[in-house]
Amino acid sequence: MVVKANSQTFTILAQDPAVRNAHGELLFARVSVPLETLGLGPTGYRLKVVDFDASRNQLYHAHAYQQDAASGCMIDPFDPPGEALLGNPAFHCQHVYAVVMRTLARFEMALGRRVGWGFDGHQLHVVPHAFVEANAFYSRADRALMFGYFKGLDGQHVFTCLSHDIVAHEATHAILDGLRGGFMNASGPDQAAFHEGFADVVALLSVFSLREIIEFALTNGGRIELTVQGDRRLLNGDQLSQQNLAESLLFGIGEEFGQQLEGLRANALRRSVMLPPSADYLRDEQFAEAHNRGEIFAAAMLRSMLALWVARLGELGNFGDNLYNLREVVEEGAKAADQLLTIAIRALDYCPPLDLEFGDYLAALLTVDAQVAPDDSRYDYRLIIRTTFEAFGIVPPAARTDADGCWHGFADNGQVQYRNSHFDSMLRDDEEVFRFLWENRAVLGIDERAYTEVVSVRPSIRLGTDGLLLRESVCEYIMKANIFGAELKSVCNISPRPAWIKTTDALTVYGAGTLIFDQYGRIKYHVQRPLNDGQWQLRRLSYLAGLDSSELDLRNPLAQLHRQRAWQVGPLREEQA
Amino acid sequence: MSPTSLTLYAYQVGFGDCFLLRFNYPGEVRRHVLIDFGSMGMPKGVAQGQRLLAIAEDIKAKCAGKLDAVVATHRHADHISGFATNRAGTASGDVIRTLAPELVLQPWTEQLELAEDASAPEQPGLRGARSMAQTLKSMNALASAVVTLLDQGRHGLSEDLASRLGFIGEDNISNASAVKNLASMGKRNAFAFFGSADALAELLPGVRTHILGPPTVEQSASIRKQRSRDPAEFWHLHRQLLDAQVNSPNDDPGPFADYPATRGSKLPMSTRWIARRVREARGEQLLQIVTALDKQMNNTSLILLFEVAGKKLLFPGDAQIENWSYALSHPEIRELLADVDLYKVGHHGSLNATPKSLWGGFRKRGKAGTAQRLTSVLSTMPGKHGNPGAGTEVPRRPLLEALGKESELHSTDGLEPGVLYEELEFSF
Repeated sequence: MVVKANSQTFTILAQDPAVRNAHGELLFARVSVPLETLGLGPTGYRLKVVDFDASRNQLYHAHAYQQDAASGCMIDPFDPPGEALLGNPAFHCQHVYAVVMRTLARFEMALGRRVGWGFDGHQLHVVPHAFVEANAFYSRADRALMFGYFKGLDGQHVFTCLSHDIVAHEATHAILDGLRGGFMNASGPDQAAFHEGFADVVALLSVFSLREIIEFALTNGGRIELTVQGDRRLLNGDQLSQQNLAESLLFGIGEEFGQQLEGLRANALRRSVMLPPSADYLRDEQFAEAHNRGEIFAAAMLRSMLALWVARLGELGNFGDNLYNLREVVEEGAKAADQLLTIAIRALDYCPPLDLEFGDYLAALLTVDAQVAPDDSRYDYRLIIRTTFEAFGIVPPAARTDADGCWHGFADNGQVQYRNSHFDSMLRDDEEVFRFLWENRAVLGIDERAYTEVVSVRPSIRLGTDGLLLRESVCEYIMKANIFGAELKSVCNISPRPAWIKTTDALTVYGAGTLIFDQYGRIKYHVQRPLNDGQWQLRRLSYLAGLDSSELDLRNPLAQLHRQRAWQVGPLREEQA
Repeated sequence: MSPTSLTLYAYQVGFGDCFLLRFNYPGEVRRHVLIDFGSMGMPKGVAQGQRLLAIAEDIKAKCAGKLDAVVATHRHADHISGFATNRAGTASGDVIRTLAPELVLQPWTEQLELAEDASAPEQPGLRGARSMAQTLKSMNALASAVVTLLDQGRHGLSEDLASRLGFIGEDNISNASAVKNLASMGKRNAFAFFGSADALAELLPGVRTHILGPPTVEQSASIRKQRSRDPAEFWHLHRQLLDAQVNSPNDDPGPFADYPATRGSKLPMSTRWIARRVREARGEQLLQIVTALDKQMNNTSLILLFEVAGKKLLFPGDAQIENWSYALSHPEIRELLADVDLYKVGHHGSLNATPKSLWGGFRKRGKAGTAQRLTSVLSTMPGKHGNPGAGTEVPRRPLLEALGKESELHSTDGLEPGVLYEELEFSF
């Protein structure tokens, strides 16, 4: 047998069970995931779906997938799909398997490498009906995504595992944790918010790269009349303003996933599209909580996607009377979502390993895009992104970036000793990289009194602008220092010492950096969180001091966070909408 | 007429609160106020029912058969279980009932008709009270669902998790008999909130009682950083979710009635590890919910500050930071609290019930030997509540150290099991 494809397709629910077209039919999609021979669960090389329900204390039987002899692909038992699948737990299992695998594959494609999980082990457990709970979360300790289900106010069961947004959001938490474990620690206000906002962005952009969904949104599930010319379906150009597109995405995708889910992220996700730009949010106490703050980031990203879409539509021809070919409009939207998602993922490599701030991420995003597409003149992507983020008060850190908002390149290569490092080992070997760091600690600003550790060394391979493979390597290191309050000045450059820290208080402070090595093994960027950045250290400590320490040490910090969200009304949104 | 001294009886109720305040007036005149009477666990070798009854009899003797007022700071079992009656009329609550208090003082959240009668008129200044009362009702129901669930078996939860869950669950179950007794034992009932009138004024001449908490819905909304949605809805949903689990799986066919499934005791090897983790995670989910519920209940606590001839005695029940925040947001209240002489330590010594801004503001803190040194009174029993690993154990060690170092600390935990109470004397 010759294997013809490296992927196989599975039927999923494109959005959630509340999305129905003009005929009341569910919207399904067929998505590609990496080819593999599935075990019971399904269980593959990265995922282990286990349909155990702790509330009912039983395990639903898994479907035994069969292989198609001709193609080598697994046979999708749910094609063609229909209404009955909502009540079939084996379909739920396939849905979560395919959505998580697709999300993971999306990351791997953008980064040009395999992405590991944030725990020791290769297979992430996915439990689609874990318990009766209006909650879903990623738990590093349990190596699992757990999805709750419950009976809604109308007596119908609501399955969080059937919402594409929720599954992709939780999957992103798990993947992000694998890429940047430090982002799960309690730190400044932006970091937890970033985890939430980024998970929302990936969930939304990956659903908007499904053409079925964009078309559904633009036509409101077939409820909007289209002009037909030959075999072209044409859409009125008035619908294609940024605001109208935003509203289509918000309202065109039907009712939200049941009123019961209000409070879970499904709704807030879409609402962030409607958050009007304002530079005041970041300073507003109402946006201090992680999910609310994450919405600022998500709003900036989604508005950028809309602006990019509109820019691309400007280049499209029309068919008289301001009519546009629906298929082309959909295509441009999917492309805008897809391109933004790619650079959004790649930008993670250019972020500091811990205490991420939104401005840092923006600088990373712009830097990545400038490398992939140095010439920005066609659609002004970078200008659009920068302007949109600025409208939400997010700007690249001025001292560390150039006029375009990109990270400064590493300037001290002349002082770096490369003499003892082996190029090949530098691409993958922690020990080799640490030796390099230690040899060059003075020029890299690594404090020798702190305990420094290389936490990852990863190759990154992508296609350069010249069509040749570009090989970089990304290394993260973290410095940890146990100090007393009295040493805040000498170690962290915090002066004067704030009154709430006593000279005898024991503190743990961190410094960190991400090094990007180019294809010659030389440092290209050094994205730093220096131990002696007094302003930053003080910002971080002040923020942490204000947290309730009893809430920091939970086994499932995200579960708690997600439930806390259930308590919150989106800040001020009703008044503004 | 003003009292010349106060005798405080801090009863040994294990994990709970029970304080009898005797205000001594010239000419052998005495006025008695009982603040809370409940327990969620006695020291080893002490039988709870017997001890509560003995305390009730002792209170009866001390007040010569007549209480002037009963204060029930909030509805947690460890504060009101002693008010429960039995059919034979022989329980501790029956004894207290014969003491015919002139007044029963409770927080505004305890107005029962609000929860029973959805059409009861909203009172001015208490907007949202009905929703709050219904929230508390849902929370009680949820707690009892948790306890029922645990009664059916541990459901694969670890012993530690099950016992923590069970403790908080039990403490939050509605104690119908105690609640009913409190509602009807007094000649008069008063429901107080931050800034409400001094309901004890007539009963305690020369004593001014400031009500510093709980804030009303409107008051706390005025200082909240984030608007929260109607909590009634949240608790209603969770109560329903739990109710459904308590009644299943026999009655409820579940989401996939006819779909083949394997029982939890016969799981295939490949699923056992994760199944155990899912069971634990479910337990933690429940624990998070009942902990949130427990906290919310604590925050309905009355905070009373008695002021007599310049001396100040603070009884904050189990109020935690969220309840305290409103009072502490007023500079004049912080000033009022600065020279407190006696502090009943909040919530049996838990960390969040003694806000740093409160403790730090007490001017009479000081080393042993300091003149007019602050006295603190703690009713607690270790090993019942919270978890040292997470820094949530009650009483919290760093707080205990601070209390011992900077105030004259009296803890019921230090009493011999056979001793009924510690007696403290304050002259005005």
